[in-house]
Amino acid sequence: MTTLSPDRKRLDAGTLKRGGALAAVVAAAIALALLQSGSALVVWQSVVTGILTGGLYGLIAMGLTLIFGVLDIVNFAHGALLAVAMFLAFGVVQATGLHPYLALVVTVPVLFLIGAAVHRGLLSGSGGGSLENQLLITLGLSLLLENGLLLFFGAEPRSIGLPGEIQIPLFGAVVAGSRLYAFAGALLLGALLYWLLRRTRLGTAIRAVAANGPGAELVGINVRRLHTLTFAIGTACAGAAAVLAAPLISITPTLGAQFNITAFVVVVLGGMGNVVGALVGGLLIGLVEQLTTIFLNGQSSLLGVFVVFVLVLFLRPQGLFGRRA
Amino acid sequence: MAGRALMAGLCAGVLLATAACGGSAPSGAAGAAAGRDEGPVKIGALHPVSGAFAVDGQQMRRGAELAVEQLNRNGGVAGRPVELITGDTQGKAEVGQSEAQRLIAEGAVGLVGTYQSAVSTNVAVVAERNKVPFVMDVTASDAIFTHGYQYSFRVQPGSTAIASAAANYLKEVSARTGKEVRKVAFLHEQTDFGRGAAEGFSAAAEKLGIEVGPDISYDATTVSDLTAQLTQVKASGADVLAVAGYYSDSLLVSRALASVKPDLDAVWGVSNGAYDQPKFVTDAGPGAELYFNTNYHYDATKPETVALREEYQRRYGAPMRTGAVLAYDAVQVVAQAVAGSGSTDPVRVRDTISAQEVEPLTVGNGPISFDGKGDNRNAVPVLTQVQGGAIKQVYPPEIAESEPDYTVMWRQP
Repeated sequence: MTTLSPDRKRLDAGTLKRGGALAAVVAAAIALALLQSGSALVVWQSVVTGILTGGLYGLIAMGLTLIFGVLDIVNFAHGALLAVAMFLAFGVVQATGLHPYLALVVTVPVLFLIGAAVHRGLLSGSGGGSLENQLLITLGLSLLLENGLLLFFGAEPRSIGLPGEIQIPLFGAVVAGSRLYAFAGALLLGALLYWLLRRTRLGTAIRAVAANGPGAELVGINVRRLHTLTFAIGTACAGAAAVLAAPLISITPTLGAQFNITAFVVVVLGGMGNVVGALVGGLLIGLVEQLTTIFLNGQSSLLGVFVVFVLVLFLRPQGLFGRRA
Repeated sequence: MAGRALMAGLCAGVLLATAACGGSAPSGAAGAAAGRDEGPVKIGALHPVSGAFAVDGQQMRRGAELAVEQLNRNGGVAGRPVELITGDTQGKAEVGQSEAQRLIAEGAVGLVGTYQSAVSTNVAVVAERNKVPFVMDVTASDAIFTHGYQYSFRVQPGSTAIASAAANYLKEVSARTGKEVRKVAFLHEQTDFGRGAAEGFSAAAEKLGIEVGPDISYDATTVSDLTAQLTQVKASGADVLAVAGYYSDSLLVSRALASVKPDLDAVWGVSNGAYDQPKFVTDAGPGAELYFNTNYHYDATKPETVALREEYQRRYGAPMRTGAVLAYDAVQVVAQAVAGSGSTDPVRVRDTISAQEVEPLTVGNGPISFDGKGDNRNAVPVLTQVQGGAIKQVYPPEIAESEPDYTVMWRQP
């Protein structure tokens, strides 16, 4: 069983040591990239871009890792739900002309409800069932959602422009405002989830269910309802991520696939079920992606990502910040 | 027991069905057996009308439909009405192949299609085996013409032709402005399409004395930011950026350019999927201004094309893309060959196609006329530019709607 976050004492010792080692490896990779490209500006921009896109990956992976940590469900529909939320945000912005970020008011509650409905209607029945069942259900749901979007909206890519987009110079590198807001949003959402899980009664109940379902049931927690609630919160995270990411990319029905793979890698790297780990894993993957394009121009940046992924699985199968099973 | 009996019954049914299909499908038996000699003249159209390429696939099928409607308004061909029979490739090579087989079995005298090179490659094999002419509207790959096929023809200019025209136009346009190009950075998506464009462009550019580098590629399916790549372009000191990509990633390039602001004289699309689309202008806004693209293009200076564009817009409520006009032209090629040979025998239609000349609505250096390999010898790539929020043809001068503007907007003081 995985845990939602390491407890205090472990955070001090093991996690800090691993964090230090990770930072050293990243620093070495950056130094190598500097030798390879010969331009400090190019590497610096790569690092900045890597951290910012990494925040976005972390943002998208957070809901996924929460769902996995508590329910043991590998939710293949997460990307498709993200696409649904983006089309919702696009529709809201088109219809009302409001500032794109205000679409949060609609997407987060709607995705929460969709999440609750999906869990109640499709998944709760298979709660104790096999992993294959849940995989097939979520995979089927993602196909259904994707093709439904195709049917209603067509394949034409859409985009939401941010009014008054600004460019922020950062020691020679540049950062688009929208990307910085998405990054800040990721940090905020990470902090919010952390607070929810560590400091509220609900969070305590969620952690209790994650750690020991039958035990939690015995002390009077309604496990089924809590599962639905957690799935809904995880899906609402996708709703928030969608609004923050929408100005950065083209919105198409199939965009979920683009993020699904990355999000899964991030979740496993960060330690499955670890919300803060997802954020750190996201940053790492963003950096690896950008540095790969410096080292291996002409190759898919996913190559570097998967090399790191396999290495981590080999050296630390429970993920960078996960606890040994 | 009941289950087993059901199974046996199903198997027998499947066997019978396949046997029945097998009887009608293969070559040789086609011709008159498929009913080509009576009823309407059937032209087959194969496009990806579902799946990820549905936007262009639907445009192209509509272009073919408009062509057939117009033919029928003018009395059909060889005294018979024309019917468009359609197949959906879903963007998949194997589906395209089986759909081609089906359309031929239904009596198509010729096929048009398919938008994707991989699909066209498979359809060309079916066309060759069945001795039915296949007129490609959009298909960039030049590899299809290395097999010595007799039944494959292509209307659009191939990828090598577009890439080398892009280099030539760049040299000529930049020379006219007094800011002659020295060094081009090439940014492209990493599959055959982007890499092929980069290689073709580099080969032609180096002959003209233009340095090409750095050559930067990216994965169009996963990329979500190109700022770092554009910083690399900025650091390289290149004075022109060439881009070969699909729609979404090319839009990302324009966003990254707007923030990095490299010191460039021009952004030069090479078969770019975005920079000659009206939608690019709405999505990228003022940031789209002055982007060049070298690609096949409908001839905006012809009144017939203008009329077709208006009809398309009125009927379908969307702006027409060049793909639709290429499908329109490909249907004309088949129809005119039927009229010219006075026959619906595909072999005779094929012979007429290889000898005839057809006036196109896409830009060409003369009529559509095929060389020994089947490639349109008069296909000409066009240089377009976003000017005042509209896509304008700017080069070569014979078809220019406007002068090329060789200065970018974000250039820093």
